[in-house]
Amino acid sequence: MSQRLEVCLIKRLPGFTLDVEWSAGDDVAVLFGPSGAGKTLTLQCLAGLLRPDAGRIVVGGRVLFDSETGVNLPPQRRGIGYVFQGYALFPHLTVAANVAFGLRGRPRAEVARRTAEVIERMGLGGLEDRRPDEISGGQRQRVALGRALAPDPAFLLLDEPLSALDVRLRQSLREELATILMQWQVPAVLVTHDFQEAYRLGDQIVVYEAGQVIQTAPRSELLWRPASDRVAGILGIRNILRGTVVKASPERIQLRWRGRLLEAVNSPTRSYLPEPDSPIAFFIRPEYVRLIRKDRGAADPMHHMNLLSGSIVREADFGTTFTLFIRLDGAGSPAQGDYDLEVEVPRLVYEILEIGRDRRWELSMHRGSIQVLPSAPLFPSGERAG
Amino acid sequence: MSPDHLSALWLSIKVSVAATALNGAIGIPLAYLLARRRFRGRAVVDLLVTLPLVLPPTVTGYYLIVLLGRRGYLGAPLYELTGWTVAFTWYAAVIAATVMALPLLVRTARAAIESVDPNFERAAFTLGRSEWRTALEVTLPLARNGIIAGLALAFARALGEFGATIMLAGNIPGKTQTLPLSIYTAVQTGEAGQAMSLVGVLTLLSCVVVVASGRLGARPL
Repeated sequence: MSQRLEVCLIKRLPGFTLDVEWSAGDDVAVLFGPSGAGKTLTLQCLAGLLRPDAGRIVVGGRVLFDSETGVNLPPQRRGIGYVFQGYALFPHLTVAANVAFGLRGRPRAEVARRTAEVIERMGLGGLEDRRPDEISGGQRQRVALGRALAPDPAFLLLDEPLSALDVRLRQSLREELATILMQWQVPAVLVTHDFQEAYRLGDQIVVYEAGQVIQTAPRSELLWRPASDRVAGILGIRNILRGTVVKASPERIQLRWRGRLLEAVNSPTRSYLPEPDSPIAFFIRPEYVRLIRKDRGAADPMHHMNLLSGSIVREADFGTTFTLFIRLDGAGSPAQGDYDLEVEVPRLVYEILEIGRDRRWELSMHRGSIQVLPSAPLFPSGERAG
Repeated sequence: MSPDHLSALWLSIKVSVAATALNGAIGIPLAYLLARRRFRGRAVVDLLVTLPLVLPPTVTGYYLIVLLGRRGYLGAPLYELTGWTVAFTWYAAVIAATVMALPLLVRTARAAIESVDPNFERAAFTLGRSEWRTALEVTLPLARNGIIAGLALAFARALGEFGATIMLAGNIPGKTQTLPLSIYTAVQTGEAGQAMSLVGVLTLLSCVVVVASGRLGARPL
């Protein structure tokens, strides 16, 4: 059965208003955004732990909350599993008692059978009588998931499940979480402020900022076509630049930036056709700016390339990669601080090209790598943002 | 020890146990409500529970007489109905000790309940538990150490209660004369040796309570 989740919420708190509308299918939706954007608040409203001032929450046709008709199911009757930040495993109960906690009221034999089944599927066999503080972080995550999944919830909510862990454990638990979500086939809403995590775990990503949704999109679309420079900024995208439109067609956009003419690919599906001379934001990922090798002769100007030249003003060594901060030739104040472009190169390339000694470079940007950012939001919930 | 002093010791233990039990029955729910619920009159309840801690015990005792004495607001109707009054019975000593000890239990237990991460309770709600079941199965067990410490403090306070007890229950040997009252009487009548042995007994008893509660309260969950 399809478990489509439809969410529309308004919750006013002192100094903060949550006003969001989004929907998700029966896979994994990620609420992504900076801390304090209202993501956890949304989960609490979904679970019935917090009463919204207005709105409607529907799961697979079942109304959990509707301010117009006065429906407000208590958390006990929503059938939603909640994995809390830090897991909130009951420290005074054993692993088995934690998993069985949500099965109360069922026949004793069924409780025992289901508990054993969940413990088995979660790979927790042999740990039944341990307390949460006697097992590892990975095992705790599985107990938390098992406890939430044991009563067969219609939806699973996960609040920053990986945020409290160190880097190495976080990576392995992220993969384990992805596997469990896939195996159990349970629709889920996951909250995170880590984009890598959002992209890895989410089929759809809902971007939160200051109590509002600024984009809802499948993950790859979000990565390659952020709806606005606000979204791009939250995604941590570097080289967000501002220029002027020269000419726009559904396939291409010509724009002027720092006195140069650049060509970018437009998206026909988005039908974004800004007027000539209007301001436009765009970005190019630092790893997509290419340095032109001086031993290879001139680049073919017809090869969909935007050619630029400049010199390195600073560099940053990140171990496996180097970030070069490049100031382009020509007049005018730099686009970002004391430089115009960030360029990321692998260490190997840095060494082969002897970039450490050579500071002047010709650069090229493929027109398919320049992503145009529509300045006006393209989605309904943004209209209220004003 | 004389029979009077033995009966004073026995009465003190009886009164303290009863007062501690009453404290648990009244104080733990009260501590939970003050910690977790926002209701009308919460500030007033909080104030009333705390007052015996800061008022002189004789003043608290005086209020108890006004309330429960034979001509008191509750005591008078009770006397008319049943011909019985609580004043100058050992029940009066229990009531006085309960009221005097209540702030210690409520404040300690409340702090312990407030320090329980609300996410444990939210987790229980999403797993189908009512608030009542959640309090019994999650909140109170997690606040156990603080509650035990509070009960021990309440027991010790009840054991040493003097001012409010003498106001409401009087100082009747063999009937309402608890250990502290008996010490006072021994000193007043110049029985220095008796006073000293009673003081020793009371000190020892208090030490036992403190050590025992430390052991119980420090147990891991």
